[in-house]
Amino acid sequence: MLRYTLWRLALMVPITVLISMIVFVIIQLPPGDFVTTMTARMSQQNESVDPAVLEALRARYGFDQPVYVQYWKWVSGILLHGDFGQSFDWNSPVDDLIWDRLGLTLIVSLATLLFIWLLAFPIGIYSAIRQYSLGDYIATFLGFIGLAIPNFLLALILMWLTTEYLGWSPGGLFSSEYINAEWSWARVGDLIDHLWIPVIVLGTGGTASLIRIMRANLLDELQKPYVEMARARGLSETRLLLKYPVRVALNPFVSTIGWLLPNLVSGAVVTAIVLSLPTSGPLLLNALFAQDMYLAGAIIMLLSILTLIGTLISDLLLAWLDPRVRYE
Amino acid sequence: MQRFKGTSAPRRLRVAACASVLSLATAFAAAAGDYAEAPMLADKVAGGQLPAVDERLPAAPMVEQPLESIGSYGGTWRQVMVGGGDSLVQRSLGSGGLVRWNREWSEAVPEVAKSVSVNDDATEFTFTLYEGHKWSDGTPFTSDDILFWYNDILMNKEITPEIPVWLRAGEAPLVVTAPDPTTVVFTFDAPNALFLANMATIRGTDILAGAPQHWLKQFHKDHSDTAEDLAKEAGAAGWVDNIANKIGYPSRWRDADRPVLDAWKLTVPYVQTTQVVAERNPYYHKVDPEGQQLPYIDKVTYDIVEDNQGAVLKAINGEIDFQNVSLDAEDQRPVLVQGREKGGYEMFLAQPAWSNAMIIMLNQTHKDPGLREVFANKDFRIGLSHAIDREELNQIIYAGTSEAWQAAPRADTELYDEELAKQYTEFDLDLANEYLGKAGLTERGSDGMRLRPDGERLTFAVDVISSWKTQNDALELVKGYWNKVGIDMQVRPIEMSLSITKRQKNDFDGNVWVGGGGYDMLGLLDPKWYFPYEFQSSYASAWGIWAQNPEDPAAEKPDAEAMKQLELYNQVLAAPSRDEQMALMRELLEITKDEFYVIGTNLAPDRYGIVKTNLANVPEAMPNTFYYLTPGPARAEQFYFQN
Repeated sequence: MLRYTLWRLALMVPITVLISMIVFVIIQLPPGDFVTTMTARMSQQNESVDPAVLEALRARYGFDQPVYVQYWKWVSGILLHGDFGQSFDWNSPVDDLIWDRLGLTLIVSLATLLFIWLLAFPIGIYSAIRQYSLGDYIATFLGFIGLAIPNFLLALILMWLTTEYLGWSPGGLFSSEYINAEWSWARVGDLIDHLWIPVIVLGTGGTASLIRIMRANLLDELQKPYVEMARARGLSETRLLLKYPVRVALNPFVSTIGWLLPNLVSGAVVTAIVLSLPTSGPLLLNALFAQDMYLAGAIIMLLSILTLIGTLISDLLLAWLDPRVRYE
Repeated sequence: MQRFKGTSAPRRLRVAACASVLSLATAFAAAAGDYAEAPMLADKVAGGQLPAVDERLPAAPMVEQPLESIGSYGGTWRQVMVGGGDSLVQRSLGSGGLVRWNREWSEAVPEVAKSVSVNDDATEFTFTLYEGHKWSDGTPFTSDDILFWYNDILMNKEITPEIPVWLRAGEAPLVVTAPDPTTVVFTFDAPNALFLANMATIRGTDILAGAPQHWLKQFHKDHSDTAEDLAKEAGAAGWVDNIANKIGYPSRWRDADRPVLDAWKLTVPYVQTTQVVAERNPYYHKVDPEGQQLPYIDKVTYDIVEDNQGAVLKAINGEIDFQNVSLDAEDQRPVLVQGREKGGYEMFLAQPAWSNAMIIMLNQTHKDPGLREVFANKDFRIGLSHAIDREELNQIIYAGTSEAWQAAPRADTELYDEELAKQYTEFDLDLANEYLGKAGLTERGSDGMRLRPDGERLTFAVDVISSWKTQNDALELVKGYWNKVGIDMQVRPIEMSLSITKRQKNDFDGNVWVGGGGYDMLGLLDPKWYFPYEFQSSYASAWGIWAQNPEDPAAEKPDAEAMKQLELYNQVLAAPSRDEQMALMRELLEITKDEFYVIGTNLAPDRYGIVKTNLANVPEAMPNTFYYLTPGPARAEQFYFQN
């Protein structure tokens, strides 16, 4: 187990280096650069644009240097000084911009993960052991609806409903008076009050699919002879269920961590935009639009590392839970 | 709905009448010399945190005429900002330079300056400042501050590598002098007649942003040994970068430390927050006729949403007090109109300064000689223009609120020319075919599409910014119209940055844009759709590039007519009086009419903003453009909430 863990950790180093290169290429791919974006903004206002000024700006931002020089500047800044560079668009160090947002993103993601597990686990088991009962049909029905409705639509509907009928201020994670306040218990309470809409929106799809997976896996297991055997030996139904088939069926739950973390962080972009959540998604999208390359690069980089960590955790958990994985 | 229908003209009369009545009251108030302040400031004065109001105001403060009535203090002006760009803060907080537009947008009037005078040939501009005027941190604002901007910002080659076009006239660079603490003189080598007009746009506000020397010196290497350290702390690449960020637009709005002369000052900037906040500037230099220090409203907030739908929801939920930016799209209007009662607001007319909702430009300086020959033929463009069913466009795209229009000044302006606005707008397929025949496109291929004179099949792509929904829809319809007369045009949605890059390299067939230059002032300041003035003049980008920089590899010398227009525009810049400017501009537009560079479609339809029913002193109509810095010149400092 220790060797397995170390090996996995060692593998992460070259992968991270590779990712950093791909990230840099990706953020350089769109035509133009941040100066082009500034020009575009001026142009949209029908402002006139002086090419001489643009050239000077390019030189100031270092866009006139070769790509590998720019890459080395970026990577060496991160490695040697922990400095992610400056966000052109925000006129502020990237570090200042992302941590708060990543923190809120993690809170939303973890809350959603809990929501998904707490709902999907019991409902999935129930649907499997009471297959074709009324409850199973209801769960299946709701599950399919949850899978079918796009997140952004659900977000819009919930936002409209709460605004129209509850008179809530639409969007955001905080009420007006807490937005710029220091962290306090009252602010945490306010956050929890606002958290449930994004959690429901983000969690519905995941819950629905996990219910289906849990149900299918468990149904497979329940047919197996060892279950019959245990039952014949007089094991109590609950203990039998939880100790053997459920444990085997649990694998997909664990592996969800691996894909849920990055998926919630990045896949939630559209929802976060609709709900105006101060998470990393909208920041990333705006940075990409603005070609604010160091900010976009830092976020993509961190998301990739989160994916790596998520996969690692889920693999380790799987190995711990299921000897078959460990010995392969 | 009745009140939306009127144009802004009657309103302007009313405004003028109001102002003249109130000016009588002014003289009286100024003589009284005893000033009142907002309760929130009075508390601070009582607590010893602020000097008394008389010490904060200039010796003889500026008296602002309220639009309708004297107001009372208090309240928060709530707005919504859609994440990413943030021109709204500049527009609503930072529209005051040394001069500012008057409400009617006919001239620049003193704002931070007490008065301004111009010599006869428009080479010397003298600004007088208020005695005892102070920055928002209480430091005196004098002519020395403007000198700092001139010597250490504008004339510093590292911070300003190129002096902006609007500050250039003649050979020698401009000279700024300060004979005494309240006088600043700008002297140009040659007449610079549009200087004051430019000063009233965002260009002029750049000067005041670079003026607070008591604050800026610490970041400036010539004045501080720690400039580089401060830059490093701020994460900037160097001191130049750092100071450029402190004073440049839009980055200056991401810094709450910058001293300002505006009515409100940022306290929470747009970094790391979902609500930007500004509070009243205790040193603001204006009072109302009764001697109450402005602004009336205590606080301005901007909730950040990431999507326009969020802005609309906030509006109908009553969480926006006054705003048009982000709320004026065609598809938002029905919802906003419906939500008036629930949200407790009314609509005001935000008349677009655009002349045209969509202009189509075919690149007459195309790199491909075959296409260039076709596009450069005026008969070809006339034929295409006649083939467009503008009434159908009006009904389908603009819900019948627009009318057929070329790229031409709007009807209620001095530069308006009916022929220029209406020529070739008649929908007539026979006429279209006739003109296309005249243009030499008589042969057709097997698919019924016309062939170029050189025998190749005529096909070209018109670029449209993919996020501009209205223009995408309209252009698809135009594609159909042109198809009917045998012209194969492809609609190509592209991203904004790519569009810019392609035009800078003169590498595209054609594109569509929103036509600027609708108002007189814009005709003068933003003439790129009337003659090849810069690379964005996409009907002849290579010529426009030449006008900006003849050395550019993509540049090409314009033809004789366009050269004549460039010459005329130089004369406009040099003409000292407005009448002469207008006369020259009209002469220039005559050539525009004759050349017919741009195919226009429909007049940009009216847009609306929302205003809370209890918010007073708000005009019922205002121009809507970044050049006017809407809504700044509506003078938000005299808005107030009625109880």
